[in-house]
Amino acid sequence: MTKWGMVIDLDKCTGCQACTTACAMENNTLPGENWQDVLYYSEGSYPTAKLTWLPRPCMQCENPSCVAVCPTKATYKDMDAGGIVFVDWNKCIGCKYCMIACPYGVRFYADEKPVVEPDVRDVFPGTGQLHAPPYQGPDSDSVRGIGIQPKGVVSKCTFCYHKVSKAPEGVADLDEDNPETKEYTPACVRTCPPKARYFGDLDNPESEVNRLIADQRGVRLKDHTGNRPQVYYLGSGADVPAYQSPKKS
Amino acid sequence: MNKGNILQGPMGLGLMVVSAIVALAAFGYAFMDLSSVGHRSFNTTSQIPWGQPIATYLYFALASSGLGMIAALSLVFGFKQFLPIAKRAIFLSFVILIAGMAVLAMELGYVFRMLWVIPLNMQIQSAMFWMGVFYVADLIFLLWKFQKMEGQEWDSKTSKQIGIASFLAVLLASGNLALIFGMMSMRPFWFDGLMPIYFYLTAVASGLAAVVFFTYFAYGFNRAAMPERTRAMFEGPMPKLFAAVLGGTVLFIAVRAVTGVYTNNPEISVVWREFLFASPVYQASLWLGIVAPFVIMMIAGLRSNPSMQVLVSIAVFAGLFAERYFFVVGGQVVPLFRGTWEWGLIQYTPSMTEWALTIMGSAMLFALYAAGERFLNLSDMPAEPAPEGATAAA
Ligand code: SF4
Ligand code: SF4
Repeated sequence: MTKWGMVIDLDKCTGCQACTTACAMENNTLPGENWQDVLYYSEGSYPTAKLTWLPRPCMQCENPSCVAVCPTKATYKDMDAGGIVFVDWNKCIGCKYCMIACPYGVRFYADEKPVVEPDVRDVFPGTGQLHAPPYQGPDSDSVRGIGIQPKGVVSKCTFCYHKVSKAPEGVADLDEDNPETKEYTPACVRTCPPKARYFGDLDNPESEVNRLIADQRGVRLKDHTGNRPQVYYLGSGADVPAYQSPKKS
Repeated sequence: MNKGNILQGPMGLGLMVVSAIVALAAFGYAFMDLSSVGHRSFNTTSQIPWGQPIATYLYFALASSGLGMIAALSLVFGFKQFLPIAKRAIFLSFVILIAGMAVLAMELGYVFRMLWVIPLNMQIQSAMFWMGVFYVADLIFLLWKFQKMEGQEWDSKTSKQIGIASFLAVLLASGNLALIFGMMSMRPFWFDGLMPIYFYLTAVASGLAAVVFFTYFAYGFNRAAMPERTRAMFEGPMPKLFAAVLGGTVLFIAVRAVTGVYTNNPEISVVWREFLFASPVYQASLWLGIVAPFVIMMIAGLRSNPSMQVLVSIAVFAGLFAERYFFVVGGQVVPLFRGTWEWGLIQYTPSMTEWALTIMGSAMLFALYAAGERFLNLSDMPAEPAPEGATAAA
């Protein structure tokens, strides 16, 4: 069975945030939601200061703590969808326990309303779907948390399932350089200028992601929590420094 | 029979009306905010998703469990000295849990959806699922037990069985509530297998504070007005129990603090050093709300003094509320990844809306309590204690 995985090569990543922007555009995330972002760290001080950064999507954990704690099964891991973890927006009650339980801080709750809100359907009548403003992606699927996040529920990265799910059956890698798979590659992977991101099937021995993880000793973040991410990091910089009081650094 | 109970007169009516107005006003304020600007009216964020409303719920739910355990002293374990407060404790346990649930309801994204999604999906892996199950069972047994007491059925077999079931529900509910936090390996400040024990102890401490305060309140803070057996309880066994429970609480906090301050794990040590101990509010609540009351209750001359008992109960009320708040927020202040978005500890202070919810819950508690004193005889107890030695204590 397909098990989608991502490899991020930190030696190639330049921290340009193109992935972050592409994700926001692709998924219509709300202000305050960063399904994908790049965190910057500094350690030490001149002349031995070290600046590192870490692009961070949802890890689509193999053993996701967010799924175990969700009291409603709104958060679930779909093995038929390559092991992607989804939020069913029709079931989520907004208790935010999953946000507490995710070790990676990649879940968002953005429940803001303007005091006076025009009915967007009147302002932009649109043409396509009924009740969908024109800027909403055509693939919205509230059972998988794809589309514009409604109020009162939690959202997260879906590995661009609306793209990935259309890939040809049995394909080992989704690669932006391959015209056959380009359209199905997640937005952050496709956009990454230095090609620091790879996306493929961790269950397929032929895949590039497996080769990279094996050859370059891919690591998973915070593995001690037992979550076993499906996102692997290569290169120096994957050693995220432990929290230290800013007063002391 | 309850001539001394001032809350059965105009005083009680006044308290009920005023508290109900305050509760409604606070609810209205929070509701307006939530429906106009949404959750932005809370100061919580995606980095710190659980704030004061959750701490308030936790505080109320645990005080309720504590009250249930205190009632069990006489109803389950046969400590007859505590019978005079059993009915009041059961009633308070019920209403404080209702007030807590009301606050929690205002915090959730979708309250009513919960009613069908949780039973239909049966996510038995989730501690929060069990929280729902156990607290609902707890509510039902409390109500049932209370109804038995109303019917003067103090000692019947069913009444006893319901008492035991209620006690078990209380233990399961509060122990499981502890695990909601205690099982989070990614939140080291909470991650602790002994969390249920800590919650039991502090639950009883807050329950004692509640029952002492509200019993005195009923009698106009005048111990002479109390029925004789109630008075005897407040002169002897009650303050001693209070002292013991506060001692346990102090010990538990001390042990957690010592390991916390000296551990190398920044997600624990930084929380103790730079969030808890660095906060004057935490310091005040710890020393004045927990340690000082313990010292007072340890001094024989002071612990039976009525004013001291009232003072201690108020101090413990406040002290434990702060403990809950710092506990809930403390598990989240260290960012999961220190980086661009947060270099230091995550800052959080409750917003007006969040305070409104705390006020709403507290005022609800006072209103329901006043109604209870007025319409239900909360000072009731079985006619006479059986002669010494003749009882078969369960
Ligand atoms: S990274 Fe967090 S949200 Fe994503 S699957 Fe893992 S635990 Fe769940
Ligand atoms: S916030 Fe929603 S998805 Fe998260 S645990 Fe609660 S119900 Fe589940």
